[in-house]
Amino acid sequence: MGEHVEADNAEAIITRIEHKSRKIESLLKQYKPVEALKTALEGSPPKTRDERCKSANWIVVHRALMAIKDVDLMFTSLDPEYYDILMKYLYRGLSTGDRPTCDQCLRIHEKLTQRAGPGCILRALSDTVNTV
Amino acid sequence: MDCKKRKDLHSVTDLVLASIQIYMITLIEMAAIAVNQFAECVTCHAWSPDQSMIALCPNNNEVHIYKSVAENWERIHVLQKHDQIIAGIDWSKSSNRIVTVSHDRNSYVWNQEGSVWVPTLVILRLNRAALCVQWSPKGNKFAVGSGAKTVCICYYEQENNWWVSKLIRKKHDSSVTSVAWHPNNVLIATTSTDGKCRVFSTFIKGVDAGKPRKSGSGSSLDAKFGEQIVQLDLSFCWAFGVKWSPSGSSLAYVGHNSMIYFVDQIGPSPSAQSVVLRDLPLRDVMFVSEKLVIGVGYDCNPMVFAADGTGSWSFVRFLDEKKSASSSARYGSQLTEAFGKFYGSSKQGTSNDKSRAGVHDNCINCIVPMKTSESNKITSFSTSGLDGKVVVWDLKNQEDLLEYM
Repeated sequence: MGEHVEADNAEAIITRIEHKSRKIESLLKQYKPVEALKTALEGSPPKTRDERCKSANWIVVHRALMAIKDVDLMFTSLDPEYYDILMKYLYRGLSTGDRPTCDQCLRIHEKLTQRAGPGCILRALSDTVNTV
Repeated sequence: MDCKKRKDLHSVTDLVLASIQIYMITLIEMAAIAVNQFAECVTCHAWSPDQSMIALCPNNNEVHIYKSVAENWERIHVLQKHDQIIAGIDWSKSSNRIVTVSHDRNSYVWNQEGSVWVPTLVILRLNRAALCVQWSPKGNKFAVGSGAKTVCICYYEQENNWWVSKLIRKKHDSSVTSVAWHPNNVLIATTSTDGKCRVFSTFIKGVDAGKPRKSGSGSSLDAKFGEQIVQLDLSFCWAFGVKWSPSGSSLAYVGHNSMIYFVDQIGPSPSAQSVVLRDLPLRDVMFVSEKLVIGVGYDCNPMVFAADGTGSWSFVRFLDEKKSASSSARYGSQLTEAFGKFYGSSKQGTSNDKSRAGVHDNCINCIVPMKTSESNKITSFSTSGLDGKVVVWDLKNQEDLLEYM
């Protein structure tokens, strides 16, 4: 029973992520990359253990992350409440080993660390429960 | 040629050292009123009831007791009985007894008889290291946290002339890193490396005479020994350094994820706040008043947190910080950064961040209250850490903090 509920829940999350993905594409077409990134980070599913949900959300976050051209400009409109979740996704990006993804993640990581401090890195690395 | 270069380097280093001393002195005029280098590293320390003596562990199996003699600290006793590093010391305010716990899994209660300190072994029945210890406010019990996922509550049995240890088992999923007594002498709060903070009753028949008076925590005082009052699941990684506020109505603890947690209304429905830190995690905390908390840790500089009128907690500032840096102080701090570069990154704090290099230059892992003013508020406290220094701080001249005291 419990597993069944979890599966239903996962389907609902996947549907939501698909919806989010369409919204992000339209925001990117309107040249609003930061809005797209915020949308991708919002409601990301760290609490669920379902790896499919985590991967699906990573794909949309990755899409939005790679669309960021000017990192400094991004931070002028990205609120601090997004910093911790963004850091977690940066480490997920670095773990892929993909060259362009890592380059982009490192660029953002440098600026994010300047703004959010080492505490943000610690929260991303030490939390083994709410992973992205 | 090479020799000359080295000489230059020496003179630069001397200059740096001199400027650091100047910088330190300006800081000492601020909040830190005394700095003493007692050892290479101090694992924990405690003050005698009249604060004329300090007991500390210099990162080995001994306790050294120093007495203040004519502005100097003289070592007057060395307590040798433990086999391994001493992880916790507490000196009872009411009975002048010292309790020590060690990684050797044992605990000793030390009584002063004439000029010698006589140890009494307390059998804790642990199969892992003891990590922390604290006397209860009345001094008739003490609590030991351990790596064996247990808390020992120890009390003296008159008829057997023996310290008895009663265990709180099967509640913690990992090592207990810190224990703190509620002012009512019955409740204790613990933090552990499973990330939880828990509150237990330690009511022991015959030791805690009758039912204790009801205070802030209400009916939870009727609980049996070892009963869990509340479990707080705020942190997702190691938790350290729990303390109660002076009234016992709230508590604070820290997580290794650079967060500090404040909890009110301890009971079935507690209300909690978490404050995110910009920098490195804390190791220990202390309430100065109901509205002012000092946290110490890996940033080597005590952090001040305060609650505003609505009870909302936030970070105020580092204590070891000049509000308007004079030119000489700024000069000093810039050179301190250079100093860090010369010595590589092994000296934390000095090399990490120029603005924060201060009195302590390594992780602070212990904070102990000192003078208590008549209104139950602490104005002075001491810190010790991996740099082997014990620093005494006074908040009296910190005008911006007075409104919270």
